[in-house]
Amino acid sequence: MSDFFLDLGANPTARKVIKTLGLPVPMPQTLRRAKGPWEARPLHDDDVIFGAAPGSGCLEVVAKTLAIAGASPHIVGDDAVTEAFAAPGEAYGRPAHLLDLQELPERLRARALVFDATGIETTEGLRALYDFFHPLMRRLAPCGRVVVIGRPPSSMKTPVAAAAQAALEGFIRSVSKEVGKRGSTAQLVRVDRQAEGRLEAVLRFLLSARSAFITGQPLRVSKKVKADATIPFVRPLEGKVALVTGAARGIGAATAQLLADEGAHVVVLDRPADDGLASQIARKIGGSVLLADVSDPEAPEKIAAILEAKHGGVDIVVHNAGITRDKTLANMKPELWDATLDINLGAVERITDRLLEGTLHDGGRLILLSSIAGIAGNMGQTNYAASKSGIVGYTKAMATQLAKRGITVNAIAPGFIETRLTAAIPVMIREVARRMSNLGQGGLPRDIGDAVTFFASPGAVGLTGNVLRVCGGSLVGA
Amino acid sequence: MTNKRRVVVVDGIRTPFVKAFSEYLKMDTIALGDATVKALLTRTELPREELEGMVWGGVILPGLAPNVGREIALDLQLPPHVEAHTVTRACASGLQAITSAVMTIERGDADVMIAGGSDSTSNAELKLPQKVVHALAPLAFGKATPKDMLGVLSQLMPITEILPKMPKIAERTTGEVMGEAAERMAARNEVSREAQDEFAVRSHHRAAAGIRSGVLREEVFAVETPEGKTVHADTLVRADTSVEQLAKLRAVFAKNGTLTAGNSSPLTDGAAAVLLMYEDKAKALGYTPKAAFRSFAYIGVDPSDQLLMGPALAMPKALDRAGMKLSDIDMVDMHEAFAAQVLAVLKMLGSDAFAKARLGRDKAVGEVDPAKLNLYGGSVSIGHPFGATGARMVNTVANELARGDRKTALLGICAAGGLGAAAVMEAV
Repeated sequence: MSDFFLDLGANPTARKVIKTLGLPVPMPQTLRRAKGPWEARPLHDDDVIFGAAPGSGCLEVVAKTLAIAGASPHIVGDDAVTEAFAAPGEAYGRPAHLLDLQELPERLRARALVFDATGIETTEGLRALYDFFHPLMRRLAPCGRVVVIGRPPSSMKTPVAAAAQAALEGFIRSVSKEVGKRGSTAQLVRVDRQAEGRLEAVLRFLLSARSAFITGQPLRVSKKVKADATIPFVRPLEGKVALVTGAARGIGAATAQLLADEGAHVVVLDRPADDGLASQIARKIGGSVLLADVSDPEAPEKIAAILEAKHGGVDIVVHNAGITRDKTLANMKPELWDATLDINLGAVERITDRLLEGTLHDGGRLILLSSIAGIAGNMGQTNYAASKSGIVGYTKAMATQLAKRGITVNAIAPGFIETRLTAAIPVMIREVARRMSNLGQGGLPRDIGDAVTFFASPGAVGLTGNVLRVCGGSLVGA
Repeated sequence: MTNKRRVVVVDGIRTPFVKAFSEYLKMDTIALGDATVKALLTRTELPREELEGMVWGGVILPGLAPNVGREIALDLQLPPHVEAHTVTRACASGLQAITSAVMTIERGDADVMIAGGSDSTSNAELKLPQKVVHALAPLAFGKATPKDMLGVLSQLMPITEILPKMPKIAERTTGEVMGEAAERMAARNEVSREAQDEFAVRSHHRAAAGIRSGVLREEVFAVETPEGKTVHADTLVRADTSVEQLAKLRAVFAKNGTLTAGNSSPLTDGAAAVLLMYEDKAKALGYTPKAAFRSFAYIGVDPSDQLLMGPALAMPKALDRAGMKLSDIDMVDMHEAFAAQVLAVLKMLGSDAFAKARLGRDKAVGEVDPAKLNLYGGSVSIGHPFGATGARMVNTVANELARGDRKTALLGICAAGGLGAAAVMEAV
């Protein structure tokens, strides 16, 4: 479905006219999205500016990540920064250029600004953020990326240090709002000590075009889950079996396609009534079809049996199937409540429980679809919001429980995504919902699929128990 | 190593290398090959019945007779049993032809083979756009009505789309011209214009010294052109060039770039060939072999990253296969596509960081002593007929090893498509 204002904004003449006349017309930036499967060098020839607060601990991993991902690094900071970038620059032919923030090269427009703030432990220390970002804010290219790396406040030794690290979140959420108009995003990554090495995959994803609709989000990178020896970045899902529920259309179909693009064999699960659509998708992506109604009490056993018999188990489970039955609470019939809670939450629990009895392999990935409504609440969606915030609680509890089996559990909370569901919203409400975000537009199903694929990849082992909003920086919710 | 039949270079020869569109204008790649193989047979006095097969390398292959090797055998009226095939691996085609023949002999499938390569940029065929071919096909193969003729005309508009395309040394996948790729390698590996010019001047001076001393004259034969002219020596080498002179040249591949006509290899016509034999066979026939093959390696890299870095990976691989280290090598011969490319590869070989990240070893492969590198110049000064260069290098190296002062040699070649090639040779 087309977004009139997005098309308008993409037309240079119209854009100029509207700007000159000062018309109150929203002109969101068309987001840059990835083409084709994961690249060896997602940042090929992109100018990336890196700075660090003194005493920060992620210099080496950032230097290595940028060089391997093919970026042209520009660096700001002390000798420690220069030194960290020397070897990777030499090995991958990406020598870092020292940048003087007072005298920036005229034409430099950075694809990304990355700042290592892990060394900040005081309020005065936060000044390093201002010093780095203030001169660079006008140098971020459209659809650029801002990433700040910090520590979990709870891991800091003093209240002052905890405050300094917590401050990063307010900073990044505000930056997200300031850069959103031009399609740019900003994220905070909190890295546990000793988990620095796991930053690489996270940075590659956040700095790439695959995180187009994610902004203003904090992510936590931990060492809770044991990692594989080598982490592939090209065709990361080769040899994996993925189950996607509700995969016949919309977000589920886009997700199935993206998982298959990275080499996974995808089992497309949907209701028997959607046989036609599900089969089409499965044929297109070289996957299999599994017809089952997730709310059916027999479904968990059936799904597990088929996965084991035909595929030798499963590595990636994406709980995407869900329904809405909107009514204000006063008007809501009990069956609307029951159906929504049972399909969106109960079925997820039942199927997961059964798959954990030997069907889901150790080292696997569980990805659950929550919703912005589950976080913020929504008029007429008491049932839906309850089920979706239930998913958040389930995700966090499961993450702790499954860490020792090497399984990560994460939830994704989509904001306004252009699907069949949102197309049915009355036009005025839809227009408002679309614009009510930092990026000023709705997301595409593939934006969710990209995030799912990232969580499903071996490199995302540092992320578990996270709830990632893919919402373009929606104004509702926390 | 021990269970292989050792393959030796009995002798080699090449045409003088000349600038494209000059002396050899009327000699296509087959004619250049004919002259070279004929000269090799004359020089070695090989009984023709002994020759079993030929492998030929080429890049710009003639569309109507792409198996250049067989055409040469037929032109020279070699015994009909002399089978031949033609290989293409961009600028490593000449070396590929030789290693293919080496493998054949190592396997015991043959004892005596000729391998080499040639290219005539002067005779590159202008390619008609496929649109024209498809539009004209009905006229050529069917019974065309006047209406069809008009239809063809309308298909061919606009005229700019059907003009023949100039041949261009560009990557098919990235569209990047090779010089642009080398320009980026210079920037990425911080190779300065000065360093490139110095390298180019040294290449010219060494080639000139090689011609003066007779060393390079040993590998060439005089070519009679169809116009009756005789070409005795390489024409591209400039003994009198200097860093000051090269510094005046304009960058050709990028604004503010560092690559010039002076520090890049020129478009060249020429051919080279070597006679290869199983060592025992060579002795039985009464030859004194010049050198032997110890190992070789080919590798691919992503062309969109650093197109011409292949040798930095292939050379260590060939050394490993030979069970040797760079310090065991007495001479290194590298194809000079561009001075920038050689210098970038040398930096990689000398880098601990590169070795750790890209080769999975703790220490750098090693620094290449300039005194051991490209003793008699290279492609920048002598020229670079794509398919012939590998055979030229093997020939130069074999002659040097035969002189007795050096025991081992390492060869490295970069090629389009992100290919790298390397070989280790040893004295006999």
